[in-house]
Amino acid sequence: MNAAARPRSSGADGEWHRLHPATPLLRGGIIGLAILGWAAVQLRDVWINAIVGDVVGRELPDDPASRFIASHLLWAIVAAIAIVAVFVGAGWLAWRMHEYRVTDELVEEREGILWRRHRRGRLDRVQGVNIERPLIARLVGAARLEVAMAGNDGNIRLSYLSSRTADELRRGILAAAAEVRRVPVAERPSTRFARSGTAERDEATRRPTLASRISTIAADLSAPELDVELATPTSLVEMHPGRLVAATALSLVRPLLLLVVIVVVIAALSRAWFAALIVIPAVIAVFGIGSRRILRSLRYSISETPDGIRVGYGLLSTANETLPASRIHAIQLDQPLLWRPFGWWSIRINRASRGGRDGAPGRPDTRILPVGTIEEARRVVALILPGWEEPAAFTISPPRARWLRWFSRRRNGFAIDGRVVALRRGALWRTLTLVPLARVQSVAIEDGPLTRALRLARVEVHTVEGVIRGHIGALDAADAVGLWRETEARALGAMS
Amino acid sequence: MSDLAGVGEAWQPVSPKYVWVDLVGRFIPGAIVVAALCIPAALSRLAWLWALPGAAFVIVVLVLAFTPRRVRAIGYRLREDDLVFRRGIMWHRVVAVPYGRMQLVDVSRGPVARALGLAELRFVTAAAATGVTIPGLPEEEAERLRDRLVALAESRRAAL
Repeated sequence: MNAAARPRSSGADGEWHRLHPATPLLRGGIIGLAILGWAAVQLRDVWINAIVGDVVGRELPDDPASRFIASHLLWAIVAAIAIVAVFVGAGWLAWRMHEYRVTDELVEEREGILWRRHRRGRLDRVQGVNIERPLIARLVGAARLEVAMAGNDGNIRLSYLSSRTADELRRGILAAAAEVRRVPVAERPSTRFARSGTAERDEATRRPTLASRISTIAADLSAPELDVELATPTSLVEMHPGRLVAATALSLVRPLLLLVVIVVVIAALSRAWFAALIVIPAVIAVFGIGSRRILRSLRYSISETPDGIRVGYGLLSTANETLPASRIHAIQLDQPLLWRPFGWWSIRINRASRGGRDGAPGRPDTRILPVGTIEEARRVVALILPGWEEPAAFTISPPRARWLRWFSRRRNGFAIDGRVVALRRGALWRTLTLVPLARVQSVAIEDGPLTRALRLARVEVHTVEGVIRGHIGALDAADAVGLWRETEARALGAMS
Repeated sequence: MSDLAGVGEAWQPVSPKYVWVDLVGRFIPGAIVVAALCIPAALSRLAWLWALPGAAFVIVVLVLAFTPRRVRAIGYRLREDDLVFRRGIMWHRVVAVPYGRMQLVDVSRGPVARALGLAELRFVTAAAATGVTIPGLPEEEAERLRDRLVALAESRRAAL
């Protein structure tokens, strides 16, 4: 063992390491401290009286505890010190016994004094590494690191590490995991951290069977992009925090105004002005939504990988997702009114169902581009629909539709080419919905008494459930029939 | 509407017996609403309150009176590669669904429909908005149509 010769670091070097020294305090010690403090405050008078009461000449409070402490003063002090010592000692011992190491194949963690627990995870099953920094831990420069493993409840949580160590370790684990994926263990030359314990394992894996080769390849293909450091610089869109904050704030102005107006109207009608107070929690809730949205989207990155589009999100807990373009069923570009002076757009998508995982914390939701300029939006669309060209002209609503589309008649329209049906709507809140024809589920055409009188109709292009509905109303009836026929015909063509 | 979606071609109608299923299905909730609206009028002895159940009654009668027209407006057509379904007399809706998009076909029977030997066929795609439900098919025809649709979906999917 040349452990002594190795420079002391806490990275993925195959050695056992201990956690951050403040760990006992952070994990359970806070509660202990709180109890101790409470006890000190509660019993302060008792203690003071017991120790110096005679000198000051104060009366002892006449309750059993005080009398007991006063009569066994020495023992009471010894017992108190012993209790504190046991807590401190137990914490220190637990810290001593809690160790982790990262070899070139495994992440291992062992802990426990009486009940030993040893947990190990194979690097080729690593799904990602999250670092969390709770507030109290942050004050002492500590962080919690969680190695997400494939399978249920296999995660290895190291709480706490120093922030720097956590960052290093994350990089080390991800790099090692990526290397394990790239190069099967047996094909590597003598491992960097060759250890006696791994010799038999090396022997066992020397001759990989066909099955193991296939599963390696499959794992390689299905694995999330692990090398965060490699992928980040190629991000197609640079997200400036200032722009994100401004855009989120501007997009929340409208719901906020709406809320205030509703409350004021209700209060005015009911003449109960105190009812206006309910606006306060609502406003707080809106701010909460806004700050959550900002936190989620900070450090946003989007890039192209062989497996699909990789989107990374999150400030505290980062999430990466690789999304094959074929899983995207609809794309929608939105521009709220207040974003127009800045030329910002956001992009949302409908994707094949993911069993409720959307919207879970740390997960990218349907927003594939939180906010970006038109150029950045074009780049993202080009990533999803490579080679697709923006339609030169849209077929818009006829002049008689102005009764139904007061402001947006000239924008309200559609365009269809061999791959995509594009639906453009709205003058104040501008949207452009793109549905790849190969993903169209069905097409409907509808009209009602009023629209029929105006010879108008509405077309809806159905895609999988999601935030986007591909519909366009107030079209000339003949145009609408044409769109309906063409969409159906080309969807059939795009299928085969 | 006849200029919408080329209605000139022949639509497959649903069974005329479906009129009764539709009538029962609309009469019961209509009757309940009218009866409920009578209660405040009867209790309060205000004459003008009788206008509410009166208006509801007229609406229900109109809805029921148009039932045969509405049932005649329901139609479907099996084209080479897709199923086209239409319904509605005031609010028209025509939906085209490629066979290859079919996820499953449901055949179900309500109590009234079963008494008349009718069934309802639901064509389910990945999009909930598709909403193609062909009511009032004679039972054997519903089963035949289901088998046919499944076979068509299979063959179209193979072309993918």
